[in-house]
Amino acid sequence: MSDAIGWRRSFGLREAGVYYALALLMAVLALAAAANGLPPYFSTGNLTNIAYQASLVGIMGVAMTIVLITGAFDLSVASVAALAAAVLIGLSPVIGFPLALVAALATGAGIGLVNGAIVNLIGINAFIVTLGTLTAVRGLVMVLTDGRSLMVEDPTVLAQMLAFERTRVPAFWPLLLLGLAALAVGVGMMLRRRRQGRALRLGLMIGAAVMVIAALAAGPGFALPVTVAYLLVITAVAALVLSRTVVGRRFYATGGNAEAARLSGIDVTAYKIGAFVLSGLAAGFAGALFASRLGAMNPTALQGTELTVIAAAILGGTSLFGGAGSVVKTVVGALILFTLTNGFNILNLGASYQGLVEGTVVIVAAAIYTVGGRRGVAA
Amino acid sequence: MPLLSARGVAMRYPNGTVALRGVDLDVPAGRVTALVGANGAGKSTLIRILSGAARPTGGSLEWLGQATAFRRPVDARRAGIATIHQHIPLVPTLSVAENILIDRGGIARTQAGDREAVAALLARLDARIDPDARVGDLGIGDRQAVAIAAALAVDAKLVIMDEPTASLAGHERAAVYRVIRQLADEGRAVLFISHFLDEIVRLSDWVAVLRDGGIVLDAETDALTEADIAGAMAGRQFVALARRERAGMGEPRLTVEGLATPALAEPVNLSVARGEIVGLAGLLGSGRSELLHAIFAADRHATGLVGVDGEPVGRSVEERIAAGIALVAEDRVGQGLVPAFDIRRNVALPVGGGWLVDDEAERAAAARAIETLAIKAQGPETAVAELSGGNAQKVTIARWLRPHTRVLLLDEPTAGIDIGARSEILRLIRGLADEGMAIVVASSDFAELLVLADRVLVLRDKRIIASRDAAGLDEDTLILLAGGSAPQGSAS
Ligand SMILES: Nc1ncnc2c1ncn2[C@@H]1O[C@H](COP(=O)(O)OP(=O)(O)OP(=O)(O)O)[C@@H](O)[C@H]1O
Ligand SMILES: [Mg+2]
Repeated sequence: MSDAIGWRRSFGLREAGVYYALALLMAVLALAAAANGLPPYFSTGNLTNIAYQASLVGIMGVAMTIVLITGAFDLSVASVAALAAAVLIGLSPVIGFPLALVAALATGAGIGLVNGAIVNLIGINAFIVTLGTLTAVRGLVMVLTDGRSLMVEDPTVLAQMLAFERTRVPAFWPLLLLGLAALAVGVGMMLRRRRQGRALRLGLMIGAAVMVIAALAAGPGFALPVTVAYLLVITAVAALVLSRTVVGRRFYATGGNAEAARLSGIDVTAYKIGAFVLSGLAAGFAGALFASRLGAMNPTALQGTELTVIAAAILGGTSLFGGAGSVVKTVVGALILFTLTNGFNILNLGASYQGLVEGTVVIVAAAIYTVGGRRGVAA
Repeated sequence: MPLLSARGVAMRYPNGTVALRGVDLDVPAGRVTALVGANGAGKSTLIRILSGAARPTGGSLEWLGQATAFRRPVDARRAGIATIHQHIPLVPTLSVAENILIDRGGIARTQAGDREAVAALLARLDARIDPDARVGDLGIGDRQAVAIAAALAVDAKLVIMDEPTASLAGHERAAVYRVIRQLADEGRAVLFISHFLDEIVRLSDWVAVLRDGGIVLDAETDALTEADIAGAMAGRQFVALARRERAGMGEPRLTVEGLATPALAEPVNLSVARGEIVGLAGLLGSGRSELLHAIFAADRHATGLVGVDGEPVGRSVEERIAAGIALVAEDRVGQGLVPAFDIRRNVALPVGGGWLVDDEAERAAAARAIETLAIKAQGPETAVAELSGGNAQKVTIARWLRPHTRVLLLDEPTAGIDIGARSEILRLIRGLADEGMAIVVASSDFAELLVLADRVLVLRDKRIIASRDAAGLDEDTLILLAGGSAPQGSAS
């Protein structure tokens, strides 16, 4: 592959559009904030806040991306998260927080397994099955909570929940060291003078530089909300597994051409069901975080969030037809969505316009890099 | 005045590949024009341009003497060009009849006379296909026949066919020949692509040879021999593979006992020795592919014993692969390639090896495959969706060329592969057998089977009806055994 094409492919709108969209959006908001005499947009507090707000959707989005990669769909995540939240709050006073957390995760994974089994073993379309579980699981939440809000009163449990959700983890050194390490890897690749992966190398270096600059700008006292740390770790693990391991390769192959994958000896059904289990597990985890945030939940909690999760994945360029997608870009997609919400808040714009503008921006962002990508191809 | 002419048509794909560099071609009415060339020469690209499915990056088209630019496939279709593309785009969820009549006007989904029309078209092709069958359930050969029928259903002035006979055998192939001649005799123009030189010499009035995106020979067929055409295609003389007696088969390598599946009429027993090449001859729907899929356990309903080197092997694809069995499926788009993957990842697809992706090893394996099979691509990172048909086919074979493979099942391995590469692949298969692999190869090209195989099994109506030593067997006998009647249209 000639270099110019490698560059165009990696940095073209189709591949990198979602990063540009986030950068552009932030720049616009920063300018708007400055023009209105508001406190600086690019403050550690504000940016951390956006990441914190996006973290639950991000976590579910990572798993959703895997489901989409295998060519399926999961509409039930928000209901499953609510159920996991109810399980955690309901069981914590009885069996203690750690066991209740395990139970919440197991609930999520279990429903994922049911979804996956029905879709793949009986062969019903994932859309219908998970639309069914979306409704049924929400109904189960209603039954379990009797339609009332649940709340934790036991102070030890509350403390454990806060520790699980509210702690901040020191992030200055990890960020700085990771950034430096990535820079070193990039330089190492440069020294080896391999022609392949020059674009990848540049991407790595840009990412590394961003990390280092962010760490230095935030200062040595910089700490991240632990939820954001969970999101980062989950995303990193998923991204590494998908891109660097044979298991990841097989998820893509399963969605890219299930029959070819099967004839290559890949247990396609197991991978498809596995994706649903991961999705349920991630939803369970997100639900547990949600419950721990306030030590309370009401039965309609997170309603409609599944659409935000799917929107994040699609914004990140995940194909609805399977076989393609990137978890990192999904997380960036989630950041775009929450940056928008956050922008409305800090600029104090009328809430009535929020839905309209958000929806439009989502479509425009997606259109820019789809059409832009296509132009690039036709040129 | 030619019906359609191309003037200096050039095509540069966005990835930088120059597929056509200034092609001039005339397609007059009443004539059968054959377009030939090696894999990746640019034939399908030219067809896509002529039929409005792609826009050239240079040059122009004239239709009935008028400069035209077909912006969309419907434009070409309305002008009177019916096209059968190489990767047959049919709607898998619709019935055969609905696919054939897909762009018929009118409002009602089914109209009086539809059935008769479809039945007549299929009869013209000698195709025994149920008009109500779902296209997705058909084998690739039947789908090819449906695509041809769909092209005949519109009253086209020019019919373009990209490798219409690649998956057809015996009388089905002869029926296509007959239709092509008929079309020309009715005063229509036919432009067809084929890798079968004998077919081209018998059938066409005019031959245009493409090499590396340019026309290198444009002449009346009568003035040419197969060797001339082959020489122009390759730019060199090429040597056809001759039959060779192969000595000393080893121990049985693949043993099949009581292999039964609803897809076959009766249980199959079969033993293939180390180094032996067994050919499966049969027409469309004779059970060739079904047998291979059953041996590979790709057919979930297959029961019976399959063993490799005396060891019984479990009843799943994974276990069969682990035991060293490999299948190159016939339908490369549906069952072979992951279109979103590049060559490297497609070659590395089969299970085995470690848990981490080893980029360097994979790249080296892909580079080796590109080299061994002469795949025309920019490199291991080329997306398979950007390969020409024959080169994509080579990728599906390359996947299994690894030391682990002990039994190789090949279903139409040379479909769509040009003659030069074809004899290379046959040589490669023979080489693998010489190293001790047991090979079962199904092909609708009986001449090829006779060159390659040590033993030929003939299938008919989903059962094995004969097993013959390939030495001393000739093509006509094989055709008689397989189909009951020799093809008349092929004028052999
Ligand atoms: N969509 C595409 N994008 C980029 N390159 C392409 C694309 N399609 C084809 N090519 C390249 O253009 C060249 C010509 O391809 P084409 O499909 O026209 O060959 P062909 O003559 O039909 O070969 P075959 O006999 O194998 O079908 C090849 O080098 C191929 O790799
Ligand atoms: Mg072609």
